[in-house]
Amino acid sequence: MKDKYQIVLSGVGGQGLIACGSLVAEAAIIYEDKYATLTSSYGVETRGTFTKSDIIISGKEIFYPEVIKEDIVLSLAQVAYDRYIDKIDSDAILIYDSSLVTQIKDSKAKQYGFPFTDLARELGNITVANVIALGAIIKMSGILSQESVLNAIKDKYEEKPKVMELNTKALEKGLEIAAII
Amino acid sequence: MKGSNKVRFMQGNEAMAEGAFAAGARFYAGYPITPSSEIAEISARRLPQLGGVYVQMEDELGSMAAIIGASAAGKKSFTATSGPGFSLMQENLGVAVMAEVPCVIINVQRSGPSTGLATKPAQGDFMQSRWGTHGDHGIIVISPSTVEDCYYLMIKAFNFSEKYRTPVVFLADEIIGHLQERVVINDIDPEDIVTRELPSCDPEDYKPFEIGESGIAPLAYYGSEYIVRLTSSTHDESGYSNSKPENADKFIRHYTDKIEKNKKDITIVRKYNLEDADYAIITFGCTTRSALEAVEILKAEGKKVGILQLVTLWPFADDEVLEVCNQVKGVVVPELNLGQLIREVERVNKKNIPIVGVNKVNSLSIHPNEIIDKIREVEKCQR
Repeated sequence: MKDKYQIVLSGVGGQGLIACGSLVAEAAIIYEDKYATLTSSYGVETRGTFTKSDIIISGKEIFYPEVIKEDIVLSLAQVAYDRYIDKIDSDAILIYDSSLVTQIKDSKAKQYGFPFTDLARELGNITVANVIALGAIIKMSGILSQESVLNAIKDKYEEKPKVMELNTKALEKGLEIAAII
Repeated sequence: MKGSNKVRFMQGNEAMAEGAFAAGARFYAGYPITPSSEIAEISARRLPQLGGVYVQMEDELGSMAAIIGASAAGKKSFTATSGPGFSLMQENLGVAVMAEVPCVIINVQRSGPSTGLATKPAQGDFMQSRWGTHGDHGIIVISPSTVEDCYYLMIKAFNFSEKYRTPVVFLADEIIGHLQERVVINDIDPEDIVTRELPSCDPEDYKPFEIGESGIAPLAYYGSEYIVRLTSSTHDESGYSNSKPENADKFIRHYTDKIEKNKKDITIVRKYNLEDADYAIITFGCTTRSALEAVEILKAEGKKVGILQLVTLWPFADDEVLEVCNQVKGVVVPELNLGQLIREVERVNKKNIPIVGVNKVNSLSIHPNEIIDKIREVEKCQR
């Protein structure tokens, strides 16, 4: 395990990237006793334009809370994919939603596409594409244990059992489709 | 009585609201504005649970007026806003100065001027927080750089406000307001909470502006057995309008003196790596975090660079800044504005060492490398 992970969750407003980021950071802090920060960048629009969340997880106190060098990038939209594909280094990984990102380019970083949105539709709600993607990230990178993230989902949706169940299923789906790299 | 250390994942704005409640605030009046809106949202939900009151106002003029009134009635009161709203609050902020009414105004700074970029950070209100309302006066301004700061410094802000019968500006920024990170929330010892001094004299002898032994006049509250005359016009000890030159002189000096003469108590600074530093970075708010990252990188190169973080922005920490200027060979002042704090540092810099700014107004945060580049520039000035 590295001492510090820098993760970017990118897409467009309305895809639940900040919510997803808070699950990651909460799992790291509450269930793994680590430090984590979450910052977001978005426009004044409620949905449709480029949005990203920067998450840093570390064993030590985190100063600058924005990602300087990406370890993992998730792109849930073409606009987000295009922004990162040429930017990230060979030791990073890029995971994209192949249901929405269709113009694939060569890159220094390793790329992995999964049809997160199509899978979410099969689960009955496309809004959980983000959590399926989170499951894939956790499985592939090993940055957090599956239990920690499941616990964070339980905490977040304590008062909404149906939402909790849907998100748990979504996470499990993500864990199932991806392989450890 | 520190205990029950609760590790939590919290947002800056949430921590500011919770800090205010922990300080005893039970009244909020405001008009929601990005990037401070979460404070209004949380206050609307939490204050009724705590027996307090939340009022959604028609605008920021009304918000400021309402918290002055509620505070005069005995409730610790606060509001939260950003750029355009902070501008609208200035006139009534002066009323709070003049009537010496404790209250806390949170300004989560965003990119301006005017409505600017609502979701983007800036530190362009540094000078406005000091001089925004007209006329000579003192004011206390506190600035957080972590989510934990948002909680614990908010308690200090209320304490200063109550102790010195003054409005206190809590000057945060979008980066810290919206940042979510790990915090440890301890129970607050009730002895660490300050509440304004009430009068002990007979009601008929009470004068709301009669300066007591502490240098501050005890403040009775509206609705009590004491008659409290509060006015925005120049007044005498009893609170009646008074136009005598000696009276004006006494009170106008008092508004500044009660803050400036208690600088030692009010000034909070933090020093990182300054002991044997060759160069210093002087920061406040979000830029502190960029500077800390820069110092870590420079340390690995064997460079001795320290940080003086101003937590209390006003009254200005002249002594602490001078001490640093006397020690180091050069200073870098990073700010998300075109150079406001740097003017104060230059004013204090008696030795005329090089002082350079890192100034950014493109809506992005200051990257640690931008500070490192300036340090190298200052180093070159020495050769």
